[in-house]
Parts: sequence; structure tokens; C-alpha cells
Amino acid sequence: MSLAWTIGRQVLLFALYVSVYVLLLDNGSVVLFDLGWNFFYLGFLLFLPISTPVALQLLLGFVLGFSVDIVHDTGGLHAAAAVLLAYLRPWVLRLLTPRDGYDAQDTVNIHQMGWQWFLVYLGVLVTLHHLAFFFLELGSLQHPLLTLSRVGVSVLYTSVVLLIVQLLLFPVRRGRG
Amino acid sequence: MRNLLAFLLRYQGIMLFVLLEVVSFYFFLTNSSYQRAAFFNSANAYLGVLLERRTQVADYFRLAELNKELQADNARLRYQLYPPDYSRREADSLPVGRDTLGRIVYRHLRPLPAPTGSKSLTLNSQLLTLNSKPDTLLLGNTRQASRPLVAARVINNSLREVDNYLTLNVGSADGVQPDRGVISAGGVVGKVQAVSQHYARVTSVLHSKLQIAAQLKRDGTICSVKWPEGLDFAHALVDQVQRQTRVLRGDTIVTSGYNAVFPPGVFIGTVESVTTEPNKDFLTVKLRLGVDFSRLTYVYVVPAPPSIERDSLEQHTSELPASIKAAQAKAAKEEAAKKEKKP
Repeated sequence: MSLAWTIGRQVLLFALYVSVYVLLLDNGSVVLFDLGWNFFYLGFLLFLPISTPVALQLLLGFVLGFSVDIVHDTGGLHAAAAVLLAYLRPWVLRLLTPRDGYDAQDTVNIHQMGWQWFLVYLGVLVTLHHLAFFFLELGSLQHPLLTLSRVGVSVLYTSVVLLIVQLLLFPVRRGRG
Repeated sequence: MRNLLAFLLRYQGIMLFVLLEVVSFYFFLTNSSYQRAAFFNSANAYLGVLLERRTQVADYFRLAELNKELQADNARLRYQLYPPDYSRREADSLPVGRDTLGRIVYRHLRPLPAPTGSKSLTLNSQLLTLNSKPDTLLLGNTRQASRPLVAARVINNSLREVDNYLTLNVGSADGVQPDRGVISAGGVVGKVQAVSQHYARVTSVLHSKLQIAAQLKRDGTICSVKWPEGLDFAHALVDQVQRQTRVLRGDTIVTSGYNAVFPPGVFIGTVESVTTEPNKDFLTVKLRLGVDFSRLTYVYVVPAPPSIERDSLEQHTSELPASIKAAQAKAAKEEAAKKEKKP
């Protein structure tokens, strides 16, 4: 698997995630109970190869968030939260390192890493992202209950959607060892 | 120098992170002022086209909802065309409070006739200047406006029976009552016969028992419109038009508002043919109905009349307009005469 192939694939994935999000999942009809927003596009960042350099991840996070910001006219809100997510991802990955470290060909793949690993990974990162996003969006801590319920519902919503993406689109490979 | 490079490389993650967050926050916080003018907003040419397409596609999935909104809007606008009975009435006094004995104090809006003494004269003239325009508070318009036309959809429709009915998707829960008029954009549709909680059955104009109080729009001659069985669904007959009345082809027939089922001035149809039959006192006027009953979709139910006052008054006195009464008597006489002749 050459480098060029990986890069090309990721560029395509980026376009796919953003366009599906902007064109299909980003309107009033997919808001859950008036509380849950869907952050489908985060799938691109979350499912990047594990060995991606940190600096590149941060830049990709910024570009990803900023392109959504352009559509939403939110300035740098999505970008700020996405950059935070990109920064935290290596830390969470390090915390979740399996006993014998990551293999070279390891990816964030539910079939490969197992349910437990994947759910913790997804849950922690999505929760952190949403906390940052919704409190930033409000710009204050004035309505903690409403914001927390938004975070809660949105975390469930986004996680389920990304779980479906994993189960549907990621190849089933033989588990580790 | 090498140390510096090593330092930068070692902390590239955190430094880039801080840098990008600062940039993001800058964009976020200066969003309103700078972003709008810059290229990076959703109004730029390429993204604008994309988002417009997205809206076009998405709109297809809410056509029903959009239709409903438009319909409600139409009902509101259409209702403004039919002013209530008392729309030109003016109040002459307003209750402004109670005196110490609990009696209601009225403030008169017009000068009292034959004022005695200069004091009351000046008071009245002051009041007059204060209230040079009549106050609409007491006119009851608000009551009427809060019950506008009820927009409804026709969910069942018959055309070719002897007596035809419609079913609407509104009922008593929506404020529809029996004996209310039903109109559509094309004109008069019928009269509510019975309601359940969520549905209403309407005797359409194409019903042999339904008579609509009507008038010639040109000169105001009153008449009534009915649909004798056997006529097709595009036509009706105008009844009780005296021989001497001048009716022309193309004349407009509208509701007269005399029986309070329909507001006055609602279009019914245009005169298609006028024939004079030798042994009849009335003209036979054939009418082309304004409503195409074969493609009726959205209609409006006229709300209940604002006051029971008028109905009860008319029931007490129980008087039909004199001309119609005379005409009916004459018609009955004729019938009787015919029957006598036959055997």
C-alpha cells in the first residue's frame, strides 16, 4: 500500500464525509428531539490511520472543521472543536494501547480492535468534542442542563451513526492474533 | 540553532494545536464583522449554488407541509375579502369603568344632542376632538378575526349522483359546525350537513335540496341558485328571476349573504343561457358554475356568524323577503293549477 494510494484514498474519504454531511445529514429534519445534532463528518478524523503524524492530523482537523464552518457561517466553531478532537486523539489512542502495542497495519476498525476498544474510543472522543462544541457555541455556562442534555443526546446520535458507518463500510478482517 | 529545531520538533503537536485553536477562535469571534465580507462564507458563488440545489431537492420532501402553510395563508387572505355584517358600524360610547355604586360609566364618543350650559358644551367638544375617529374596540371585529376561514381538504367527492356530497378532513375539533358555508377559490362549494370530531359532510351545490341565496352582481337583483337533478356538474339553474328582469349572457351571479350561510359577494357562476318560457313567470337561467367539482381539492369553511342576534331575530319574525315570498306563493298556485288541469 503505497503512500500516494493512502493519500488519495483519504482525500476521497474527506470529500465523501463532508459532502454527505452537508448535502444529506445537515438540515432540520435530522435533528433528534430538538436536542441531538449529528456530527457525521467527525468520522473522517476518527477513522484516520493510527500512524498519521500529529501535525498532519491537526491540520486535517482544522481544514475539516473549517469547511463545515463555511457552510454553516459559524466562523471557526467547528474548526476549534475538530482541532481539539485531533489533538486529543493520539492521547486517547495511547491510553487504549493494547498490551503488546499497535501493529503497523492496525486501523481504527471495530472488527480488528474489538467492540470494547472501539466503543470506549468512540465514546470518549465524541463526548469530549461535543462538550467543547456545545459550550463554545453557547459561549457561556449559563444553561448547563440544556447544554448537557444536548451533549448527551448528540453523543448517542453521532456515535450510533458512526457505529453504523463502521459496521457497514469497514472491511471485516481477522482479529488481532 | 539545533536546539531550537529540536525543541520545535519535540513540541510540534502542542504548538500547532495552540496555533490552530487561536486561528479558529479568531475566526469564530470575529465571525460577524469580518467573515461576512470575506470569501469564506456560505454566500459565495459556488457554495451558494450547491446549497440552493440542496434546498430544491429537500423541498420536494416537504411539499405537503408547504401546501398546508400556503392554504392557511390563503384562508387568511381570502377572509379579508368578506367583511362581517357590522364592519361599518361605529360605537357611540365606551365603558370606561365603574362609579362608586358599581354602575358602569360610559364615555360618549359623540357630542350629546342639545347640550345645555356652556360647560358641558366645551366638555363635549373636547371629547369630540379627542375621539375624532370612532373607536373600534367595541365593534367586535376582533372576535370575528379570531375565527377565520377553516382551510380543509376534500377527501371524498361525488359528482354524478342525484344528490352529491363532499367529505372534508375538518370537523368539530377544528371549529366546523353544521349549516356553515363551504367555498373555494373558484366560488361557492356547498353547505356543511353534519360534522364528526374530525370530518365534515358537505352537501355540495350539486344537491337537489340545497338553495343558495344569490343576486345578480350587476344590479343586485336577488334570486336563488339550485341544481335540479339531471343537470351535469358544471351547470346549475337560477331560480326566481322575474320575467321583466334583464339578464344577459355572461352576467355574474354572487351570493347575497341573506341567509348568513355564505358571506355576501362570493362568486357562484356566470349566466350561460337565458330562455323565456311562454307559460312561466320566471326566466329559466342556466348558470355555469365557477367551481370545477371534478377537480376540487382545497376548500374553506366559513366560520359561524358572529352573533346569534341576527338569526334569532329573523327566526322570531320569521319573514322571508317579500318578493321571494310572493314568488313562492305564485309558484305554488301554478303547480296547483297544473295538477288540476292534468286529470
